[in-house]
Amino acid sequence: MTMLALVPTDHFLIMTLYALLVSAFFAILWREDGRERWKLFGVLVAALVGGGLAVAWLMYPFPK
Amino acid sequence: MKETAAPPAPSSVRVAGRSPYVAIALAWLIPGLGHYYLGRRRTAAAFAAIVVLTFVAGLSFQGRLYSIEQGQPLTILATFAVWGAGLLNIAARLFTENPGGSILSVTYEYGCAYLLTAGLMNLLLILDAWDIATGRKR
Repeated sequence: MTMLALVPTDHFLIMTLYALLVSAFFAILWREDGRERWKLFGVLVAALVGGGLAVAWLMYPFPK
Repeated sequence: MKETAAPPAPSSVRVAGRSPYVAIALAWLIPGLGHYYLGRRRTAAAFAAIVVLTFVAGLSFQGRLYSIEQGQPLTILATFAVWGAGLLNIAARLFTENPGGSILSVTYEYGCAYLLTAGLMNLLLILDAWDIATGRKR
């Protein structure tokens, strides 16, 4: 099995991984306190994933 | 009239014995190394893990390491962003088989987004290291 076979192609999975990485980065960059970091991390993940799903839902009637 | 308390002034104390210029150079070379140099070892490790993982994921998704192309002005910005990843970008250009990515891959666009994001994250870390080293950020 090559490494390429291990790469996910599921769009939602890739989007969620992106949201997790970006949220973790900004939570650590912008907050010093551990509790505040987790709070911002949760808000950012919810905003990115929820926003992505909302935009996808809005675009659903316009496939082309 | 009620007086409101002024926000605390930011510390203007530099990190002792640490040059801001060395900090930003290290921060550019390897993600998190600038913060490590400034004594923030735990955050340095976290930043390094996040940026490296984002960059490697971008490569595995067969994203493109942008280069400037004539007639394509946006590639200037994209190239600047990718070069923000420092040695990761240089190593990837030297050692990967296809730095231009694979446009036919279903994950190509995602790979490009991941690579650009990794570079931009590291550019933010360079600015953050500068702020810490000069005392603008505690």
